[in-house]
Amino acid sequence: MDLKGRFARYSEFGFYLNCMLPFRIEKIYLDEKAEKDWVTQSLLRSLPGVPVERVEDKRNLIKQSLHIADPIGMGKRNLLVTHFYGRRLKPCPGTSRHICCGYHVINAVTNCTMDCSYCVLQGYLNNPFLTFYSNWDDLLREIEDFLSMKRNPLSRLGTGELSDSLALESIFPVSQFLIPFFAGRENGLLELKTKSAMVDPILHLDHRGKTIVSWSLNPPGVIREEERNTASLEERIGAAEQCQRKGYPLGFHFDPMFDYPGWEEGYREVVQSIFERIDPKGVIWISLGGFRYPPKLRAIAKDRFPDTRIFSGELFPGRDGKFRYLKEIRTEMYRKMVEWLREVDSGLFIYLCMESREVWEDAFGWAPENSSHLNYLFEERVKRFL
Amino acid sequence: MKYEQLEGGGSLCLRIETKNGEETKPQVGEKSFASSLPPQTSNVTTGMADMKMIQEIPLHQIDLLDETFSVNFMPDLRSLRSSIREIGLIQPVLLRKRKGAFQIICGFRRISILRELGNDKLPAMVFEERERDDLHLFIVCLHENMMARGFHAVEKAIALEKLIDYFDVDRSVIIQSYLPLFSLEPNEKILSTYLSLARMEEDTRRYVLREEVSRSNIRILSALAPDDRIALIPFLSSLKLGENRLREVLTILDEICRRDRVGLKEMIHRTEIQAILSREELTPVQKTERLKRVLMDLRYPKMKTLEEGFEKMRKALHLPAGVSLNHSPYFEGRELEIDFQFQSMEEYRSFVSSLSSLADKKEFEEMIQGSRIRSTKFEIRNNLK
Ligand code: SF4
Repeated sequence: MDLKGRFARYSEFGFYLNCMLPFRIEKIYLDEKAEKDWVTQSLLRSLPGVPVERVEDKRNLIKQSLHIADPIGMGKRNLLVTHFYGRRLKPCPGTSRHICCGYHVINAVTNCTMDCSYCVLQGYLNNPFLTFYSNWDDLLREIEDFLSMKRNPLSRLGTGELSDSLALESIFPVSQFLIPFFAGRENGLLELKTKSAMVDPILHLDHRGKTIVSWSLNPPGVIREEERNTASLEERIGAAEQCQRKGYPLGFHFDPMFDYPGWEEGYREVVQSIFERIDPKGVIWISLGGFRYPPKLRAIAKDRFPDTRIFSGELFPGRDGKFRYLKEIRTEMYRKMVEWLREVDSGLFIYLCMESREVWEDAFGWAPENSSHLNYLFEERVKRFL
Repeated sequence: MKYEQLEGGGSLCLRIETKNGEETKPQVGEKSFASSLPPQTSNVTTGMADMKMIQEIPLHQIDLLDETFSVNFMPDLRSLRSSIREIGLIQPVLLRKRKGAFQIICGFRRISILRELGNDKLPAMVFEERERDDLHLFIVCLHENMMARGFHAVEKAIALEKLIDYFDVDRSVIIQSYLPLFSLEPNEKILSTYLSLARMEEDTRRYVLREEVSRSNIRILSALAPDDRIALIPFLSSLKLGENRLREVLTILDEICRRDRVGLKEMIHRTEIQAILSREELTPVQKTERLKRVLMDLRYPKMKTLEEGFEKMRKALHLPAGVSLNHSPYFEGRELEIDFQFQSMEEYRSFVSSLSSLADKKEFEEMIQGSRIRSTKFEIRNNLK
């Protein structure tokens, strides 16, 4: 079945889906240029009853929205359907003077219905709306072209950088398109990163091991206080268990990790909870990353989440200008995590996200030479794993 | 708006004209004045615009307790008092006729001074009881005050709160029309900041006014529980805090309290803090400096330990005067930096020779190895390798 056919079948259930959404879309702003796209039409069918306003000039809409008290909060409840002009597949920006893993980011949707106090998108996106780009066929073409160039023996791509990979699955089946698409590609691997538990729509898909479903995890207290509208730890692990049963390789990201009184107990319990239900042999990788933030996030997040505790740690500006925990604290967290994870399975592939050589060395006793070396290690890991 | 004194029938009259010079008729019972006439265009307010006779009203007939139209807060009456004492009242006050007594629309300060000076009557323009609705009169009062003296932050806050809570004006109208009247940017955040200020305790508002606390600091104060603010104000008042210092102190206190899950009151009453505050021989500036150090240590305990450890090792090296030894910023890197300045070859040689002897010192080697020693303590192998 072609894409349109697949979606038409899907959107018949729109009404039911809309009633079941774990979030609320208050209004759809429809860019005139996107109006005729089949994706737009199908999307509108899947959100019946939601008022639609046609927009001639989205820049104006965005500009006006920036004057209200909480544009970011508003943006999470209002969907803008528009075109994206330009490249939608980009290397993960990483961070300067740190070792990065060579990931590629797919921009299918920007923004997210969840609301984490630490989310960098709050200060990063200049368009606060939950935005769906309806020139979907262009995106698939771009991914196809990228993979056919075979720049790397194996490219890792993900949709979870500018949004949550599964957050909007109930209104548009982004992952349900991408999973079969990647199943047929030799040199591409898709990673869906999420904090949701909405895996039902992807369980039946033929993924051929080419999609990794991964969860960002934190202790329950942190989830409750800092990750609004996300699934609980139990639900995330439950969803991971379901995916593992369906043969999906799993990933876990302890990123961002927070330093707070009692963090050791908190994170240790998370590790235990995971592996009570998950077979470590089916986990392709685990990343660790201490909380870090660009300076301008602080004011935005404190304004939006006056009760947040994320800035209470010993955070200082690093070489890339981002604030991070004192190196001593980060390395201590990483060492402990590595120790607990190794106790579960010494073969787990653990890496650090956006850290310096020194920190790698302090945490592991060695460090990749550089970002390409880390990328190579990933390729080797995938070869052995799949 | 044009004020014009006319001679007529032996009494003084005041004509209030609209911008374009046309007089407007009073519209009795006019309801939604604010929504139809945004305040910027309402010199007009004056929509009353007919001629008002100036009357002499006995002071005892004025209801001094009715503060419906007052936005005063800690008024500074000194210059107004000396002006009235010297040349009398130039501008008549605005009153509204009410059963039993006159209600003050505009002129609370003038009336209070005239009373204080022992006057028993004063010149006033008087509105009839139902001539204008309350909101209209409040806008007249705002305009008159705006032109005569302007408003400080707390008065703006009181005015905005009255517009919402008492005069029932819609928030969006306030943002679009009234914030610019007070020279404020028209957005929700600014309105919320001022409303929170209006609702703060008297002492906090006094502090805000006295110290000219900025909007961002008002927002920080507004996030605190009233009890915490009540405890905090005497503490802040005993220090010498500029804008940035105040923000720093408030932020550090807040972050420690959040991290340790303790109340602000409890935090302020810690012995090390009270010990500084109780030292009468210290000036507010000295207290502020010492307090900042204590707060920083409480806020960044691990950094403090690292700094102290580094300092101890540095001292043990007995570096020659003029040589400084520094760690990387925030101990992020492992590098150390030695810095010295010299003016002559002799001086240079002397520095170099004392520095080269550092290599033989055990303490120096330990310092260099410091972070490596810590990292190799944990023998964790990683299968990535
Ligand atoms: S789930 Fe991810 S994208 Fe969504 S708000 Fe949280 S951090 Fe941001």
